[in-house]
Amino acid sequence: MGITPSQSVEASAAASISAMPEPIHDALVEELWRESGATAYKLERDQFIEILERITAAQNFGLPPETTVSRRQQASFFRGLRLADLVLARACANGHQGAWEHFLAIYRQPLTRAAIAITGSETLGRDLADQLYAELYGLTTRDGVRRSPLDSYKGRGSLMGWLRTTLAQRHVDHHRRTRRELPLDDPADSYELPAAVHEPQKPEAELLLLGKAIEEALRQLASEERFLLVAYYLDERTLLEIAPLLHVHEATVSRKLRRVTGGLRKQVIKNLQALGLSKPAAQEALGADPRDLNLNLKKILQISSPDAFQEKAAT
Amino acid sequence: MNSTSQLDLHPGAESLNAFAEQALGTPEREQILAHLAGCGRCRQVIFLAHHAAADAEAPVRVPADRPATQPGAWFWNWRFAWVPAAALAASLALVVTFHSRQTTPTPEMAKVAPLNEAPAPIPRGRTSAVAVHRPVPAAKSAAGSGEFATRRRPSEELKQEPALSAALPAEPGTFTASTEESRAVIPLSVESDKQQVTAQFQPEPAVTAGQQVRQMRSGALSAGANATKVLQKSMTSETYAAHAIHPAARASAGPRMQQQSSPSASFDIIAQEQLEGSSAPRKANPPKLPSGLAAVSRATAQHLVLEIDLAGALFLSSDSGEHWSQVARQWTGRAVEVRAKTSLSGNTAPAEKFELENDAGAIWVSADGKTWAAQ
Repeated sequence: MGITPSQSVEASAAASISAMPEPIHDALVEELWRESGATAYKLERDQFIEILERITAAQNFGLPPETTVSRRQQASFFRGLRLADLVLARACANGHQGAWEHFLAIYRQPLTRAAIAITGSETLGRDLADQLYAELYGLTTRDGVRRSPLDSYKGRGSLMGWLRTTLAQRHVDHHRRTRRELPLDDPADSYELPAAVHEPQKPEAELLLLGKAIEEALRQLASEERFLLVAYYLDERTLLEIAPLLHVHEATVSRKLRRVTGGLRKQVIKNLQALGLSKPAAQEALGADPRDLNLNLKKILQISSPDAFQEKAAT
Repeated sequence: MNSTSQLDLHPGAESLNAFAEQALGTPEREQILAHLAGCGRCRQVIFLAHHAAADAEAPVRVPADRPATQPGAWFWNWRFAWVPAAALAASLALVVTFHSRQTTPTPEMAKVAPLNEAPAPIPRGRTSAVAVHRPVPAAKSAAGSGEFATRRRPSEELKQEPALSAALPAEPGTFTASTEESRAVIPLSVESDKQQVTAQFQPEPAVTAGQQVRQMRSGALSAGANATKVLQKSMTSETYAAHAIHPAARASAGPRMQQQSSPSASFDIIAQEQLEGSSAPRKANPPKLPSGLAAVSRATAQHLVLEIDLAGALFLSSDSGEHWSQVARQWTGRAVEVRAKTSLSGNTAPAEKFELENDAGAIWVSADGKTWAAQ
């Protein structure tokens, strides 16, 4: 299922509804509808079914596209959703007054605190939170239709986590939009190696071989290993920051890093040998000055399947 | 692997949050991780969101991580503090116990009690030193004097002083008319107090004696000092009487005495009564002799009272001083002193009750106060 940046999420979801392999079981719908508390916001059963169908059409129950889903898998997927948060978000997006009062009572203060923590400034944080509130309330209209970002919440993960991530996205996008007006402090540029100002000590051919061997070794790494290397060495995140994202202990992250770097070195030597260098020459080639290498790590590490994501960065 | 750079497409907040909350399946998780490895923007978003979550959950996480309180947990939390606490409590109990035993003021009170019964002989030269310079700690002495003061209030002291006088010769006059027996009973005190009396009649001590009496009444002195002062007071009263007999000595002490009592004629009795603590009726109505003169010496035995006035005439009263009759002169010279022969127990000798001394020192004795015979 491929989605181009210009294609809207709603359109793709609507197209997918008709392709649903199997309808949701009525008993399961009844159970989920009662558990969600949708009646508190006067959300009818049909509306609730429509919400669920949109979610399944967009995500295929969290399984790869065109995978047949059993009823058991359906039930497991739906029971993993935050249905109460999902119903609240949709009720708010529909403009239900009671839902908004409930939303503000629960999330207003935590959201402001999160915005302050993200921006590192109380003033900027309150501005960011107020701006998001305005968006969530649907002050933005498109084609005369009131639109709220809460429509994109699908109940996978908590609503509060979704709000925090949305705030972080807004803040980062705003920062990236205005970075040209700021000094050179963008972390994305910090790991660009400085240009070599001295004569390369290694022959040009040897450096080319080394570059190819490294690039190939990096491509062979698993996604998590590349993420670890990038987060630790390029972004300079600490083990404490990385560990909760992977849901492992810091010591595990440290062990994984050692294993990845050791394996990467061996793989580079192997690749160099495969490219025609002897083992001593390959080991000696590893001592080359990194600044002599013509490697764009940023591009090498940006390996992703073409149909993975559907959202374009906000501009 | 078919890899394509997607710099413009990013996972939405839904996917990033689901990744951070481990709500994604393995395929989606791998996709997100692959994107995160190459997308600085999404890594920044996800780290910022996680930072905000950790900041928000920090105050909440602390009580959640703490184990639930169990019954008796307070004891185990304090188990290492019990030992020093118990040792401290035991030390405090010991200190309080021993301190209360050492500060009991019974020794000071015990020194007062024997004086009411019988005056113990006081070693020569040790009287004042023992009484005044007793090595008592300051706090202890203060506590003892405080208790002493509470036990001996001025009103109670007034009641107690006649008792002290009764333990010694019963009536003030008996001092002046004391017999040899009474002198023999308190020989050391008399002899030692002769020195003290001499000291008392130095220019300053005469006034100091009154001050000491007032200090005794205020209870400021210790009990030991009190006992000594009582003895000094008794001897001083006797000496006053002696000075009344000896005009030369009285003349020397007269000005100081007149500071306390202006009518010199009645000074002896008044001063004697004041110092001896005689009964109130006698203070209010001093006896008037038929001659109209003041008495200089007095002796009492049961209901018989003998008094000598300033002119040396002897008067007898058989009804405790209500009616007087002058005794015919049966002695030579001028009578200066009359004494009742009493023992310490107060019993009057049956044969010869009274003694009379003239200005030459000769003694006459009488059984009824009317008939006198030279001794």
